[in-house]
Amino acid sequence: MTMWRRLKYLLPWHRRAAEADMQDELRSLAAMAEPHELGNLTIAAENARTEWGWTRLEQVAQDVRYACRALRKNPGFAATAVLSLALGIGANTALFTLINTVTWRMLPVAEPEHLLVLSQQDRSSVSSGFTYQQYRSMRDRVDVMDIAAYARVPLNVSINGSTEPTAEGQLVSGNYFPLLGVRPDRGRLFTPDDDRVPMGHPVAVISHGYWKSRFARDPDIVGKHVSLSGVPFTIVGVAPAEFFGVEVGTSPTIFVPVMMQPIVMPVSENLLDRPGLYSTWLRGIGRLKPGTSLAQATARLDVLTQEASWSPPNKLTGQRDDVRMALTSAATGLSDLRRQFSQPLQILFGVVGLVLLIACANTGNLVLARSAARRQEFALRLALGAGRSRLIRQVLVEGVVLAGVAGACGVGLAYWATRALVAYASAGQGAIALDLSPDVRVLAFTAAVSALAGLLFGSVPALRASRLDMTLVGRQDLTAPRQVLSGAGPGRALVISQVALSLVLLIGAGLFVRSLQNLNRRDAGLDRAHVLIVRVEPRGSDQRNAPGALERLDRTYRELLDRVERIPGVQSASLARTAPLAPISFSNRITLASGGDSSVQALMIYPRYIATMGMSVSRGRDFNDDDLRPDSPLVALVNEAFVREILKGQEPLGIRHGLTMTRGNSVQGVPQRQPLTIVGVVKDSRYPNLRDATPPIMYQTFLQTRTGRGQMVLHVRVAGNPGEIARQVRDAVQETDRDVPMFELHSLADEVDAALVRERLIATLSGFFGLVALVLVSVGLYGVMAFTVSRRTAEIGVRVALGATRSHVLWMIGRQTMALVLLGIVVGLPAAWAVGRLASRQVSGMLFEVTPSDPATAIAATIVLVIAGACAGILPARRAVRIDPIVALRND
Amino acid sequence: MDFLQGTLDMLVLRTLLFGPLHGYAIAGAIRSSSREALNIEFGSLYPALKRLELKGWIVAKWETSEHNRRAKVYRLTPAGRRQLRKEQSRWTEFVRAVGRVMKPAPGEAEP
Repeated sequence: MTMWRRLKYLLPWHRRAAEADMQDELRSLAAMAEPHELGNLTIAAENARTEWGWTRLEQVAQDVRYACRALRKNPGFAATAVLSLALGIGANTALFTLINTVTWRMLPVAEPEHLLVLSQQDRSSVSSGFTYQQYRSMRDRVDVMDIAAYARVPLNVSINGSTEPTAEGQLVSGNYFPLLGVRPDRGRLFTPDDDRVPMGHPVAVISHGYWKSRFARDPDIVGKHVSLSGVPFTIVGVAPAEFFGVEVGTSPTIFVPVMMQPIVMPVSENLLDRPGLYSTWLRGIGRLKPGTSLAQATARLDVLTQEASWSPPNKLTGQRDDVRMALTSAATGLSDLRRQFSQPLQILFGVVGLVLLIACANTGNLVLARSAARRQEFALRLALGAGRSRLIRQVLVEGVVLAGVAGACGVGLAYWATRALVAYASAGQGAIALDLSPDVRVLAFTAAVSALAGLLFGSVPALRASRLDMTLVGRQDLTAPRQVLSGAGPGRALVISQVALSLVLLIGAGLFVRSLQNLNRRDAGLDRAHVLIVRVEPRGSDQRNAPGALERLDRTYRELLDRVERIPGVQSASLARTAPLAPISFSNRITLASGGDSSVQALMIYPRYIATMGMSVSRGRDFNDDDLRPDSPLVALVNEAFVREILKGQEPLGIRHGLTMTRGNSVQGVPQRQPLTIVGVVKDSRYPNLRDATPPIMYQTFLQTRTGRGQMVLHVRVAGNPGEIARQVRDAVQETDRDVPMFELHSLADEVDAALVRERLIATLSGFFGLVALVLVSVGLYGVMAFTVSRRTAEIGVRVALGATRSHVLWMIGRQTMALVLLGIVVGLPAAWAVGRLASRQVSGMLFEVTPSDPATAIAATIVLVIAGACAGILPARRAVRIDPIVALRND
Repeated sequence: MDFLQGTLDMLVLRTLLFGPLHGYAIAGAIRSSSREALNIEFGSLYPALKRLELKGWIVAKWETSEHNRRAKVYRLTPAGRRQLRKEQSRWTEFVRAVGRVMKPAPGEAEP
């Protein structure tokens, strides 16, 4: 009962009413009694209030109101402190949001912690997906797991007759949605009944985002149609808003059943029921049935992989590769993004952590400066009977309120910053779709960081308040030297630590910027400003060894090249199997004339590829039309790395080596060889990976390469801007073959940028934050020096009166400024070295041709800091110089 | 004299046993019934009243007395009566125990 009554006193209106009632009662009693008989009524009321409880809470509320009022009365201080803190907190929240989304966030499905991803791995740990037959086999014969499959597929969409931009779609098995346990937002999702008959289920589920953006949340969406590759599909439902499949960073808009594969993937053959075809295009996910362990399920699946019918024999060895099943947790989804960006994100997280510390130090300095002015106020309150703990609490609350306001601004900043970061990272490699809405973890992180920051820089004036002497009340002479020194002490320490932290940041930024410059310089051999590239995939190009496909594709490509080269402004055009910075996934076995076998990466090209790319032939010749006849002898181009490493400097041209045939020509399991002549040597060029040394590469013509894939990338060289002829190139492709889908039309410059996106991200951001740190340090330095000068006005006045010259005064102030900066540098250099050692694994992975302890960078960063410090100290120094001794001494 | 907080509570409850009173009258009643020995500071009495009110042992109401004066009058509740009995027996125990300790030794004068 008592508890109930006590709780009522929490309510502010009840408290107010009780307070009024109490005052009433005390007045009535005073009227009845003799004067002064009742003693001090104020104390009686105060003690009575204590009985109500919750006084501490009320005091904290009072402190918060007081702090807000104080902030409003000091807008300059408030703005500066909130701004620098908001920047620090916002940056940290932004990075944390990204790390959370990419790394930790659970998939928005039912029970994500039990979701598994299946893959098969060969001995060299290359994992791959499954063929349709393999999936069917697993689904039907493994009873200890539920297994579903999906595949990402670009879709040609048209709605009501008008063509839409290529949509990111997914083919999903009938049990995909039930396995994931998602419920539809509208209509229904697929069931196994939607996935039985090949090409017999023209139904689609669209994503919530697609429904919103393309159909304007049409309430009658169920039953409407989309045309995929010309075939109408009925929309049966809308997926829930937060669902995006199982791959973090993707955002499929349309889901169709796996049975519809031949229709929506026109470039491929029918992958569902061609037993001779081996294409591991499906990805597997699954859940264990209750009572099954991971080991049991893996064993059961491995039984399947051991069977002879699981996969065909390896073309080179004639025997089946040994594959094992791997089941890994898919709780946080699969992600290429994670692999690509987790290191840069971690490094950036460290960077913004440093920025936050610097911002806290800055704010601490500001708060200190203010608290010096409030000494009288505190002394007065102490004299009136406030407890020291009450004062300390008030100062801490002020710090927390400031940090809370900054935190709220920081969340807003983070919202904008995360989107900007993702947009920056998406450039050139297709949109990255991430759910960046803050979840509980992020908000808790922000709150914790804000509170910590508030306590950090609130504690400094709090401690000083606790050591106040009450005798200061009424004293005018607050400029005694003793106070001056003690007032500047913590301020100095803060500035020194700021300088040290900034040095670490600047060195880091310098290292990353230099790495990026080094990488950029390395693409000598690629002329990226004038080349347009676009992937083309004519029908059947996925299976070029199908009967008749080879000749048909070759004709199509040559016609395309013909058309494109006639576009005005085009200097040359060619085709290659992969884009310049994409990995070359095909290799040949070469038996050298001098003996010895080698496996070499091989790129399939058309003539004039070398010239189009801006590379050059150093010896011999390029391919020409003579090499493109069906009966031409086998020829190849090689690069200089090939000559160096494989031929070991022997004469490359004219000699017949042996090329191992990889397909169709094995006689009793022994692969046959065909004679191959090298007709030209190409200068090395920095691909497929800008970082590593160029590997040996050989080039072959389209007809002569023994590979099953035939999609090519068109390269077009222009005199001017590649973007200008994009439309004409697209038209030329359409004219050649109306149905050819094109993907990833962009310039080579974009391609390089995309390859370097991580390095660019880190270099840009660490450079930006280095600049921010520099500004913060300068502000902090200026503040401390200005404070020092104002306190030493009398002293300077005396010195000038006694004959000190201007330069002497300048030197006095400047010396102090530089001492602070140098002390900071002395602390910062070893700190930077230590950080480099501690984080060497992450950091060196991102660096290129520089070491973490690169002396040139450290020296440059030091010089920059010294200059910034000097600039910051100029204004206070000038003010010191202009002190008129008469005025200064008169104030004493 | 100093008082333990609990003792003051007991005195107030006892005083109100004989009828409702306002704050000033309670102080006077304790003073007079202790024959001027116990003069309780209002600064201690008033918070004690609030405490007892919070615990539900007394309730207060605004009433108009003779002379047309408004005053807040306190009454004992049934729970307060029970508490008073409890405190009274505790107090008696306490006095008895102290008395045993302070029992005059052989040869010492009677207290």
